[in-house]
Formats: sequence, C-alpha cells, structure tokens
Amino acid sequence: MNLRFGYGTNGFANHRLSDTLAVLADLGYDGVALTLDHHHLDPYAPGLARRVSGLATRLIELGLSVVVETGARYLLDPRRKHAPTLLHDEREVRLDFLLRAVSIASDLGAEAVSCWSGVRPPSVDPQLAWDRLVDGCARLTEAASKAGVPVGFEPEPGMFVQDLAGWRALHRALGMPRAFGLTLDIGHCRCLEPEPVADCVTAAAPWLVNVQIEDMRRGVHEHLEFGEGEIDFPPVLRALADAGYRGLVGVELPRHSHAAPEVARRSLTFLRAAAGQSGGADRTAATAGQRAPGQRRPAGAVPAPEALRAALATVDDGGWLDEALRRVAADPSVISRLFPAAARRCGRAELGVPGWTADEAARAVLLATLPADRAAVQARALYRHGDAAEKRAVLRALPLLPLGASAVELLHDAIRTNDTRLVAAALGPYAAHLDPAAWRQAVVKCVFMGIPLTCVDDLDHRADSELAAMLAGIADERHAAGRELPADAAALLARLKAEKGI
Amino acid sequence: MRIFDPHVHMTSRTTDDYEAMAAAGVRAVVEPSFWLGQPRTSPGSFADYFDALIGWEPFRAGQFGIRHFATIALNPKEANDPRCREVLELVPRYLDKDAVVAVGEIGYDSMTPLEDLAFAAQLALAVEYDLPALVHTPHRDKVRGTQRSLDVVKESGIDPGRVVIDHLNEVTVELVRDTGCWLGFSIYPDTKMSPPRMVELLRRHGTERMLVNSAADWGRSDPLLTRRTGEAMLAAGFSDDDVDRVLWRNPVEFYGASGRLDLSDADAPADFAGNSIKRGGA
Repeated sequence: MNLRFGYGTNGFANHRLSDTLAVLADLGYDGVALTLDHHHLDPYAPGLARRVSGLATRLIELGLSVVVETGARYLLDPRRKHAPTLLHDEREVRLDFLLRAVSIASDLGAEAVSCWSGVRPPSVDPQLAWDRLVDGCARLTEAASKAGVPVGFEPEPGMFVQDLAGWRALHRALGMPRAFGLTLDIGHCRCLEPEPVADCVTAAAPWLVNVQIEDMRRGVHEHLEFGEGEIDFPPVLRALADAGYRGLVGVELPRHSHAAPEVARRSLTFLRAAAGQSGGADRTAATAGQRAPGQRRPAGAVPAPEALRAALATVDDGGWLDEALRRVAADPSVISRLFPAAARRCGRAELGVPGWTADEAARAVLLATLPADRAAVQARALYRHGDAAEKRAVLRALPLLPLGASAVELLHDAIRTNDTRLVAAALGPYAAHLDPAAWRQAVVKCVFMGIPLTCVDDLDHRADSELAAMLAGIADERHAAGRELPADAAALLARLKAEKGI
Repeated sequence: MRIFDPHVHMTSRTTDDYEAMAAAGVRAVVEPSFWLGQPRTSPGSFADYFDALIGWEPFRAGQFGIRHFATIALNPKEANDPRCREVLELVPRYLDKDAVVAVGEIGYDSMTPLEDLAFAAQLALAVEYDLPALVHTPHRDKVRGTQRSLDVVKESGIDPGRVVIDHLNEVTVELVRDTGCWLGFSIYPDTKMSPPRMVELLRRHGTERMLVNSAADWGRSDPLLTRRTGEAMLAAGFSDDDVDRVLWRNPVEFYGASGRLDLSDADAPADFAGNSIKRGGA
C-alpha cells in the first residue's frame, strides 16, 4: 500500500511554522496540511509574496507536499469563531480570504485548497444560505480552476453542509465542475455517515482531492488519537489505496497541540502499521464472494454520477460538458437542447466505467445535475422526445436519479418496442421497479429477440419457477421447429429446473 | 460500387428492399420526411412519424448494415392543411437530433400563400440550426415552381451551397446549374428521370454538385435505380471515380455540411447478437 501521510499545522498551534515543518519532515511525514492563520503564514500580514516564496523553497528542501486549509478559528473576526462564512451577510470577506488562499496554494504548488460551508447563522434562512453557498463556491471554483488548484470542499458535522449527501447536492448545484473536489475527513464518516467508513471512501473516491484522518466515535464530533475511537483503520486505508487515491492523508488533531511532536510520532507509527496490514485485500474478496443475493449491490453496478463525470474527464470535448452542466444547474430547462447534442460533443467512446460510453455517461450526468424536483419531469420529456440513443441514455440513467419508482412507465414503453437497444437498457437496475409479471415478459422477450441475458440485472436472484415455465414453453416451440434456445437461456432454464425441482 | 442514396422513403419499403439495396452497395441513406399518401389530420401523427424516422427506421436499416439519416420538415402539401400547421412548432425539437442532417422536404406543391409561409419559416430554421436544406420542386407548373423556389432560397439568406433543389429534369436543370445550389435528380421507373437520361445530363453538365437518388416510396418506384444509374454511367464511358463521386462523395459532402454525418461504422455489420427482424422472431 503506497499512501502518503501528512499532518495538519493546526495541531502545532504552539510551534512556529518553520519548526513545525522541520519536526514533521524529521518524523518521516510526506506532507503538511497548512492552515493559514495569524501565526502560520498570515495572508493579511505584510511581505506575503516573500514569505510564500520562502516557504515554497523550504517545502522543496524538506521534501514535503502541501495542501492549504482555511479553517482557522479567529483569523477574520477576533470575536466570533469561523466568522464570517460564505453564508453570512459579510460573505465577501470570506470569499476574499478563500481567493487569497487559492493564490497562495498556487504559488506553493499545493495539491488542493480545502474549505467548508460554516454553520448557518440563525438570521439567514436555509434557502438564502444555500444560494449564498452555491454562489460563493462557484466563484471560488472558477478562480481555483484558473489557478490550476482543485477546491476540496469538506463536509463538517454541525455545519450547513455536514455530510456526503450535502456535498453531492452542492456539487450538482454547481454543475459538477472538475475543479470542485472533496476533502473527506475519515473521522467524520464514522461520526455521522450512514455507510461504513470504507464504503464512504470508495463512493467518494472519484472526487477526493484531500483526506483528513483521525479516530472518532459514532455521533460525537471529537477528533481523537488513533486507537481511542471506534474506527477499524486497515480497511479504510485499503479502500483509499484500492481507489488509486494519490493525495495526502493528513492527520487532523487540532486539540493536541500541547503534545504535538509526540502525538505526531505516535500517529505516523499507527498509520504505517495499519497500512501495512496487507491481508485486507484477501478479506475484501472473501466478503464479496459471500454476499447473499438481494444484499446491497457491489459498488460499481450503478456508478455514481460523480464517477461518470470523473471518467468523462478523459474525453476531449473542448470544455463543452463543463459549460453544459453549469448551464443546466443554473436553468434546468436548457437540458432539452443540450441533451441531444451530447453525443456529437462528447463522442461515443467507451469509458473507464464498465458498460458506459461517453454519450450515455454525459447524458446521465446532465440528468443527475437537475434539481430533484425536476428530474422526473425532464427524464420523461427527454425520453418522449428523444431519438433511440437519447431514450436509451434516459433508461440507463434512471437508477442514478432521485425518482423512486415514478419513472417505471418509461420501462414499459421501452419494452413495448422491438428495438433491442431499448429493451436491453430497460432491464438494468431500475427494472427492480417492474412488477414480476412485466419483468418475466421482458426477460422472455429478450430470449425471443436474441438479446444476451447478461443485460438483465439481478437475473439470478429474481428468476423464479414461473419464468422457468415460460422458458420451457419457448424451448418446446423451438424444439418443434427444429431450433434451440439461445445458450444463455438454456443454461438458465436448466439451473431453474434443478433448483425449483420442475 | 458504394452508394449513398440521398433521398429515399424507407418507411414504405420492405426488408426485401433493404436486403437488395445492401447487396447492391447501398451503405447509407437519407430519408426525408414527406407526405404519407394518406393525409394526416393532427400534429400527433407527425410526431410519431418523425420519431420513427429517428428511432425505429434507423434500427431497421442497421439490421442490414445501412446507415440511416433523416431530414425533418412540414412538407408543402400538408402545409396547406390548417389542422397540421402546429407541426411547424414540433420541427425545431427534431433539428437538434444527431441523425437529422437537413431541413426537408420543404418547397412548393401548389404554390399557395400557406406554402410560402412554411417554406420561408423552415429555411430560416435551416439557417438557425446550421443545417442544409432539401427543396422539393413541384410536379405541376414545375418550371415556375423551380424558379420561385430559387427566389425564396435567395431571399432567405441561406448559403446556396447548403441547398439542394430536388426532382430536376432536362427542363429545369438549366435554371439551377449556375445558382450555387446542388442539383438533385430522382430516378423513377416511368416518371421523373431514367438512368439513360440521367447519364446524358451528367455528360452535358458534369458531376459537380450533382446528386442522384431513387426517391423510392409507396408509389411505383425502385430503390435500386441508383445502382442502375451507376452501371449506365460506366457503360457510357464514365470512370469508376466519376461514379463514386456522384453516388457517394457528393451526397457525403452535401449532408456532411450538417456536421452530423457520422459514417464511421458504415462498413461494419450492425448486428446486435441476432435480431427480431431478420429472424422473424418477434
């Protein structure tokens, strides 16, 4: 496992920055998460350019990578912690600070600039807070994109955006720009995410630009030294490595400054040991093999829109998709003209995500960018007025969208056609919403049309004795005509006969 | 001989035709939206027809390795029916589609004021959507209809190099030859043009901007007359390269101006692990 560990300077509050760097480099850390603060590279004090340049040289000498953090408590307002945020009336002060942080990060060659939403002030209603956050993040992301430094937006328990679901909503509202990534705090996942920590890492992997790590307990937002909380770290580190994450994994212990050098030493020893437990891979494989039918799907069966967006980064569309997503986020109605153009603009090449081509992935992320209350109406309209490829793209995107079972009539329409592309696409994961009779008819239609049964999601689990009887009927007819069932259907029938005792 | 039929109404043809066309060298077709013989009575019929032109028909063509493109418009004949006028509002949505490579067929049938309106409005759509235009010339009063069509094209401001004036013959060819527009010729068993007459026109006017189509539909027509014209050209001393220019490179150039003519897999077999049509299964 080849992870790179760092340590946050907010855990060295009683040290000079130059001393902090020397201690961390001596201990063997690969990098540092630099929280800009009044005593650590104050962005408002004189001589900033000279100090930034000196620090950049020093980091190179010590062989340390860097990410820039913006969570200082009393940098902007000596009386109110973290104020003002992007949600306050004085939000321009925060934005100015974040833009300075982007410039500094760019000059330092930093891997990311990290930030959070802040707590919503009681005087600001949620809709206004959201609008302000989206606007601020959009301006920050634009600057970060120009500077070539990704934004790592961090969900923080207790803040306005506090979990991965909130990050996803913000990401979509922004139009999924490439420069807007995720800072994931491993402890926060244990604190409040519904999924196991390692699963959070896997799901978030395409957008990770920065990782913070420490121990934590369920429901208690307190950054703990390793071993004092409830997190099982080897699977988490394995998930980071398996996801190909190459950024820093930075220890975040801001309340341990009193014993910083010793805590930093213990932390690195712990992380290296946890990362060295290479048995994790075998355990993962064994667990996956034992997954019972009907359990949560293995990750990857339905890729997250974020994963598709990340895979589309390899497509040279001259920035068309970025712009299209931004426009759809600002005005959902423009999707009606952008959706048909996506194949011409993004091409139809296969992507790194198995089973997805650029055109279908681009159309899926366009749909996923719609606000939840517009997704159903637009999906229906785009299907109704789409050519066959657009219809197929809508069908494939359905399980990625917040629709529940409300779009199941689109599957019925597709299954009525004799277009193999549409029938096949209708039998993906969203077909879980088809009633058993319709689903069986559709599977048998696949057999009739020569569509490989591999396109039928969850077939092994869902195939029942009634389907077996229908397949046996076709087998009889085919036999009478001197023909045979396709091999995949014959194998399914044989298995069902054996299992169901027919 | 590779053949691109730039005007053929495949909706009204059988799979036997597709099979024979593929065997004759037809690898790509453009199906212009037009009249269906039986007049339609509501815009909904048009929507379903347009949907078929960008949905089912390309799938059907694909079974035989033929790439299928379409042109979309309210045709001049039905532009006169007030029940169908709302179709003009449906058309733009289809002009965004990948396989829609021109606005058409537009033009004149009886040269009425309603036809004037639909013709001009749809030429404006061609400009707005950056698409070529396919202009049908009338069967009755053809010379004046052709002249008037050219006037409307000129007034619209569209680049004449992005317009084809179709169904030309010995009488109307001279009107169009020097306008910068492309010249379309429909080869029919009895009416319009025949292969020998077409060869004579090619000899007289050259192969530049000349498009040869079968315009086959539900009337007496033959989708293989493109091939027969190519054979007649060879018999008359034209080279293989001349034939390739007229039957392939010219239509590719004309519709290629749409930026949407994706012929990348025109030679690959379009088979999806068996299919319902060739096997008659479904």
